[in-house]
Amino acid sequence: MTEPAIAIRGLTKVFPAPFRRSSVVAVRDLSLSVGPGEVYGLLGPNGSGKSTTLKILLGLVSPTKGRTEILGNDSRQVKSRSVVGFLPENPYFYKYLTGQETLCFFGKLGGLGGRALSQRIDEMLALVRLESVRDRRLATYSKGMLQRIGLAQALIHDPRVVVLDEPTAGVDPVGSHDICDLILRLKERGVTILLSSHLLAQAQEICDRVGILSAGALVREGRLEELIAIENRTEVVLENASDALLQEITTAATRSNARLVEHRKSTTTLERLFLEAISEENKKRDPAAPPDEEEKI
Amino acid sequence: MTSSVRFSLRRILALTSNTLTDLTRQRVFYFALIFALLLIASSVFMARFSFQQEFQILKDVSLGAMSLVSSLLAVVATARLLPQDVEDRTVYTILAKPVPRFEYILGKLCGMLLLLALSILLMGFLFMAVLFLREQAVLSETARQMAAAPHQQLEAALRSVRQSAFNIDLLPAVATIYLKAALLAALTLFVSTFATTNLFTIVVMVFVYFIGHLQATAREYWLLNQGGGWIVQTFLALVALLFPDLQAFNLIDDAVAGTAIPLALFGKTMLLGLFYTTVYTLLGTVVFYGKEL
Repeated sequence: MTEPAIAIRGLTKVFPAPFRRSSVVAVRDLSLSVGPGEVYGLLGPNGSGKSTTLKILLGLVSPTKGRTEILGNDSRQVKSRSVVGFLPENPYFYKYLTGQETLCFFGKLGGLGGRALSQRIDEMLALVRLESVRDRRLATYSKGMLQRIGLAQALIHDPRVVVLDEPTAGVDPVGSHDICDLILRLKERGVTILLSSHLLAQAQEICDRVGILSAGALVREGRLEELIAIENRTEVVLENASDALLQEITTAATRSNARLVEHRKSTTTLERLFLEAISEENKKRDPAAPPDEEEKI
Repeated sequence: MTSSVRFSLRRILALTSNTLTDLTRQRVFYFALIFALLLIASSVFMARFSFQQEFQILKDVSLGAMSLVSSLLAVVATARLLPQDVEDRTVYTILAKPVPRFEYILGKLCGMLLLLALSILLMGFLFMAVLFLREQAVLSETARQMAAAPHQQLEAALRSVRQSAFNIDLLPAVATIYLKAALLAALTLFVSTFATTNLFTIVVMVFVYFIGHLQATAREYWLLNQGGGWIVQTFLALVALLFPDLQAFNLIDDAVAGTAIPLALFGKTMLLGLFYTTVYTLLGTVVFYGKEL
C-alpha cells in the first residue's frame, strides 16, 4: 500500500475561550488521508473547521489531540514544509513588491537561489500567465491576479503537496475558472492537492474525493462520483431526437416497469454561459490578446 | 513546533531585507528623521552664545534628539512588525515555507536593527557635518578678529575652538544610543509576541522606557534604605531584567562635557546592551514558538 501524501489521524482542536465557561471545539476527532496525486476537497460551511485543519497541517496551530503528517513527516516539524506549498484564503502579500520580487522572496524562503531561482520564477510566471505584469507592484494587481501570484508562490519551491484554502474566494468566474484550470494542470503533473471550499460546483469539477465537515466533524467522505450518484436512476442525453422517438422511449420505459422521472430540454450552466460570453467578447475586441490582460478596477 | 531544518543565512537575509524595505516605507520613519533634522537645524541658530556654549548646546541637543528619535523609532516601528504580518496573513505564507520561527523573528529584528543603524548613521553624519561647518565658521571668525594678535595667542585661541567642537568621545556616545535603541527594539518585539494590539505594546514600552530611566536611581535609594538582603537583591535583579537600566546607556553628558569615556565603561555598556538584546530576542522566540497563528 502506498504511503498517503497527507494523513490526519484523530485530530481534535479545542480553542480555550477566555472569560467563558465552555471552550470552542473547532475540529473533532478528524481522520482522513489523501493519496499521492489526488485532489481532495474539504467542504463545509463557514466555521466548520476547514481552515483550522489546514493550519494544523501546516504547523501554524498545534493540535489538542491527534497527529497530522505530510509524506510521512510529522507536520509540526519544519522540514515537512519543504515539500508543501500553501495558499491562504484571501492572501495579502507585500504590496510594495512586484510579482517577480514576491516570487524571489518566497523562493529564497523555500531554499532556492541563484540561477535556479530565476529560472523557477520565469516558469511560475508563465504557468500562472503573469509574465506581462511581472514588474508591476502587487498593489496594482486585480483580485484574480493576486490569487494567481499566490498560487505561484505556493509552487515556487516545487512542492509535492499543495494546500489551498478557499482558492477561488472572491474571484470572478473567469479568474476562478483559470485557477481551477491551474489546479487540474498540477494534478496532471502528479501534485497532491488538498483544498478547502464552500463553492460546491467548483469542487465537483476538480476534486477526486471530498470530505464534508460540519461543526468540526467529518460527516461524509468518499469518491465524488460515488457520493453524488443516485443508485436507481440513469440519465440519457439525446441530440436531435424526434417527438416520435421520445414517445417510443417513454412507452418502452413504462413497459419495463421503469418510471420516467423528468423530461426536459438540456441546459448549460450559468457559469459556462458567462465564460463563453466573456471569451467571445474578448476575441471580438482583440483576437490576438492573451487572456491574462486583466486590469484592476 | 519542533524544527529540524538547517539554519539558513539566505532565508534570514531575505526576511531582513524585506523587513527593511517594509520599514523604510513607513511614514513614521520619515517623520522621525524630519524631527531629528529640525532639532539639529534649530541648534545651528544658537550662534548668539559664546562658541563654547554654542558647541555644547549643539552637541547636547543633537545627541539628545538622536537618542529620543531612535528610541521612538525602535518602539513604534517594531510594535507593528508581527501584528501586521499576522493581520495581513503574510505570516502564514512565510511560515508555511520551511522557515523555523526563530529565523522569522531574527529576520524581523535584523531588519529593524539595520534600519536603526542607517537612521543613526544618517543623523550622526548630519550632526557631524553641522558641527564641522560651525567649527569652521567660528575658526575663521576668530582668525579674523585676532588678525592683529601675536601668533601664539591666535594659535591658542584656535586650539580652544577646536577642542570645544569635535571630540572622539562623541563616537562611543553615538554607539550607546544605537545599543539602547537595539535593546528597545528587541524588547518591543518580545512584548508584541504576546500583545493583542499595537497600542498595548506601545503603552507597555512607554512604561518600560520611563521605569528604565528611573530604576537605577530607585535601586540605589532602596539599597541605601532597605539594606541588601538576598530577597531584595533577587527582586531588584528581576526588575532590572524586566525593565532594562536605560540610564546606563546615557553617555551623552560625558561626551558633551568633553570628559573622556573610559574604555572599560564603554565595553561594559556594550556588553550590557548585547546581553539585554539577546535575552529579549530569545524570550520573544520562545513565546512566538507557542503562539497559535
